[in-house]
Amino acid sequence: MQASRRAPAMKPARLFLAATCLAGACVAAAPSSDDPLEPDRAFRPSARLVAGDATTGPGRHGIDIEYLIAPGYYLYRNRLKFALSPSTVLVGTPELPPGIEVDDPFLGKSAIFRDRVTIHLPFATSVAKPGRYKVRITAQGCAEDRLCYSPFPQEVAVDIPPGYRMADSPGPSR
Amino acid sequence: MRGWLPLAGIGLLATLAGVSLLLAGRHAAPPAMESGPVDATPAAIQAARFTDATGAAQTLGQFSGKVVVVNFWATWCTPCREEMPGFVKLQEKWRDRGVQFVGLAQDDPAKVAAFGRELGVNYPLWLGGAEVMDLSRRLGNRLGVLPHTVLLDAQGRVVDSRIGLFAESLLDSRLAAITGK
Repeated sequence: MQASRRAPAMKPARLFLAATCLAGACVAAAPSSDDPLEPDRAFRPSARLVAGDATTGPGRHGIDIEYLIAPGYYLYRNRLKFALSPSTVLVGTPELPPGIEVDDPFLGKSAIFRDRVTIHLPFATSVAKPGRYKVRITAQGCAEDRLCYSPFPQEVAVDIPPGYRMADSPGPSR
Repeated sequence: MRGWLPLAGIGLLATLAGVSLLLAGRHAAPPAMESGPVDATPAAIQAARFTDATGAAQTLGQFSGKVVVVNFWATWCTPCREEMPGFVKLQEKWRDRGVQFVGLAQDDPAKVAAFGRELGVNYPLWLGGAEVMDLSRRLGNRLGVLPHTVLLDAQGRVVDSRIGLFAESLLDSRLAAITGK
């Protein structure tokens, strides 16, 4: 007596039928690209330490925050907030590009960022203790004509290496 | 061999139907999407405190026995403002059939009041701090987006929770189904 029976091989016609039905079901059930993105996927920040050189210009020291913004999404320019932690390194007023002006029928004129934007946080101190610094960001944005993200926190890190010193600053007292 | 031909046809039709549904969904305006799981009891929802335009404390519990449409919104949220004229119409239509709309915002009170006047909003627009979005998240708004609209039955239980634009016709039919009127 046979202990187990081998499953019969699927005929090509049935295999084709199963594949097409499965394809139909899968296509219909696939996650739609209309599903809203997580805020961290719609608005992706990164941080980079900037030291004055031939490309950035002398005396330009600080942190560049670059945002990559998903197609169809935008950030509100005037609602971005930044805080450095630990606060042993002070940063001045963030330098934001003008952005794209929008005229809201209720709120009036404001500006938004789309696609990609770089915001500069200038150091307002002459020396920076080496170590890892975190930039805490509060951002606000929308998916065009669909929904908006209430203020959400984000965090990026930047490393200040030993010996880093603002070129045009007096440096540490000896 | 002939037997599989009709079945293969069904398979092909299923594929085409799937593709059509997908393409139709991508070209139409995205409808409101059902939000995630709810993590708040009716008692907690009804006890949450907000303030009205005069600064007086208000809770959703005062509408116990009614179907309540809770709309989380903000003046800076353009899609939120776009759907509100529809809510005004539906509030008028359903007021005498036991439906109460309430707007909840974490926003500038002056702007909320100005917008309410400009649009002629005929339901309460309440304000709050972080507790507004906290309640919204507990009512299924995992992404923390606006607008977010929640339908509570007469016992304060969540019967619908959606993010994005809630089409007037869809909300109208949901209210008819929930109230049975």
